[in-house]
Amino acid sequence: MSDKHGEEDESKKAKMHLKANDLLCVNGCGFYGTPQWENRCSKCWRAHQNELKKSQDFAKNKSLLSFDQFQERRKSTTESKSRGIKNLFKTSPIPESGTSSPTSTSPSSTPTRRRDLSPDSLEARKQFSDFLVANLSTAMAQEIARSVKNAVNKISEMRLNSEDMSDLVISYYQYLGDRIGVHSYFNSPDCKVKVEDVMDQVEKYISTCCYAMFFCASHDEEVADMSLQDRIRSLHWVTAGFLETKLVFKKQNVRDKVDEAITELIEINAKKSAFEKLDCLTRSCKAIFEALKESESSTSADEFLPTLIYILFRGNPPLIQSNVKFISRFAVPARLMSGEAAYFFTNLSCALEFARNMNHESLQMEKTEFEAYTSGHMAPPLSVLNTACNQAMYVLEGTIETIVTVAKKAEDLLKNLTGVDKKSDDDLEKMLILIKETVDIFPTDEYIQMKESIFAEEQETADLLVSLSRQSSESGRGTLSTSADNTQPSTPQPQLDPSFESPLAAAIVQKEATDSN
Amino acid sequence: MSSITRKEFKFKVVLLGEGCVGKSSLVLRFVENKFSTRHLSTIQASFQNKTVQVDDCKAELHIWDTAGQEKYHALGPIYYRGSNGVLLVFDITEQRSFKKVKNWVLEIKTCLGKTAEILIVGNKIDLDDERQVSRQEAESYAESEGALYMETSAQENRGISEAFTALTEKMIQHSRTATAEAPLSNRSIRLIDEEPLEESRRKKCC
Repeated sequence: MSDKHGEEDESKKAKMHLKANDLLCVNGCGFYGTPQWENRCSKCWRAHQNELKKSQDFAKNKSLLSFDQFQERRKSTTESKSRGIKNLFKTSPIPESGTSSPTSTSPSSTPTRRRDLSPDSLEARKQFSDFLVANLSTAMAQEIARSVKNAVNKISEMRLNSEDMSDLVISYYQYLGDRIGVHSYFNSPDCKVKVEDVMDQVEKYISTCCYAMFFCASHDEEVADMSLQDRIRSLHWVTAGFLETKLVFKKQNVRDKVDEAITELIEINAKKSAFEKLDCLTRSCKAIFEALKESESSTSADEFLPTLIYILFRGNPPLIQSNVKFISRFAVPARLMSGEAAYFFTNLSCALEFARNMNHESLQMEKTEFEAYTSGHMAPPLSVLNTACNQAMYVLEGTIETIVTVAKKAEDLLKNLTGVDKKSDDDLEKMLILIKETVDIFPTDEYIQMKESIFAEEQETADLLVSLSRQSSESGRGTLSTSADNTQPSTPQPQLDPSFESPLAAAIVQKEATDSN
Repeated sequence: MSSITRKEFKFKVVLLGEGCVGKSSLVLRFVENKFSTRHLSTIQASFQNKTVQVDDCKAELHIWDTAGQEKYHALGPIYYRGSNGVLLVFDITEQRSFKKVKNWVLEIKTCLGKTAEILIVGNKIDLDDERQVSRQEAESYAESEGALYMETSAQENRGISEAFTALTEKMIQHSRTATAEAPLSNRSIRLIDEEPLEESRRKKCC
């Protein structure tokens, strides 16, 4: 009403109504107040309304977010809880009183709103009913299906926070497990499945349905996860060496397995049901064990936990904390108490706890040093400790090693080749000699004929030479003495001996002899 | 009730102890009857199942190994949460490892109360001439804490199956007395549970 007045009017009016202070706004802003606005002026009233709404909202949110309040509420009378459990099993739509149970998050009685099932839930429902139809008797399947369907409807109808819903779901698992456990059907020979298998499927379906509503539902959880992820990122310098893992990164197999483990750990976030999430975790941990085996390390917890922490740091999986919370809330409790998956889950919880609380003491170093590395002001010195996981270094080292061995092999090969070459030459020579000897000792007919024909030809040539030399000596006979005639036939005579190899050579010798005469 | 005649049990047993006291060797010896100084095993040593026969009862033990390094000490409670038995291993040739056992006993008592049975194991009795913790000392300590005490040697396979059997016996006893006391509270829960059953049936009729 009076908020449109100018500044000069304000002072005037204040003076005018000095004696009627009651009419002014209780905030003392100088404007008039109105009784229905609790004696506030319109501006102050609006501000007051906003404040009020904010504080109401905050109270509402606080009840959603604060962990202490969860605890308190959980500790509060079991009666309210039991009513909640009853609600979970009831088939009729919840009466108004159901929503106003203390566990309800909405203070005002808002009408219950049913959410449609997500496509994942529908898929899970189909799988679930297929399983029931395939493995159980019709009556049994119908009974279980009806019970689970009711529970799922209740889950989507009831507006509870995750903690309370977790209580309800877990007591439902317990209840259903007990109820179908007493059935004699499971002991009969026709029954192919165990109670646990049925419970696995129930869990798969229910937790998928819960996923849409309760996974990382509150802002707080998301913030907590983001801060954890940031923290792990800031700890990037904490490498395998600092954690004293026994992984041998030189081996390709080890590196492959480490990558596999990281992939599976990240994959956890992509799965919807607690069952599948745990499955991913199990596969990841198995890959770690294989990596340890490849590294020829023992596979006891002393080696396993540091390796898992290393994998966690390397992978920095998204929303891991929310995933762990989700699993612990909506998985069948027995699965988290015993068995392989439980052990791995516990180890993952340990690894997360370690990441959260890690400080300079856990790495046995100075506080300032730790903080400098974490904040990025200082880089850790290159040493065996941190290069122990430096894969690039190891790849390089491995490559160099390979090159050296290849070079050595090439050298050896060359040496061998020359050796073979020389040996083949020697052998050839030896072989030739051997052939010659053999042929001499055991001559073939051909060889003899050839030898004979050569001999004959040479004989002819020799004869020709001899007659030629005779002609020349006869022409010179008149001047020469006859003494040469006497010696002449005597010289070629021994040379024509059959032992003499070549008649040609003999003829030449003879000619030389006659020439000298 | 029927629980007294129960013949099959499932127990979670956690192994605690400082590094290098022989936790893993102990399990390997117990489960596979193997021992190696480098303990390179074809199986993973950190998580094992083994069924133990005690009198006419069958007990399935889920044995969880834990990391013994000092920096992981704080993670202990996460490991032994919900366990039925705790095997605290120390090395008789090292006084320090016995002191750690005492720490753990205190921790477990505050964390688990009396829900878990404790067995203290002095390992490496094959190295008797290097012994630093006398049998009497360990025994009297165990007695004062209501725990069992056994001595073993993983290398020579002495006392190991006896130790696990003794722990199993105690756990069976424990679970029998616990379930004998429990029914009251169980029944109240069951009452709530039975209602919806009827309700759903009623609904079926309609």
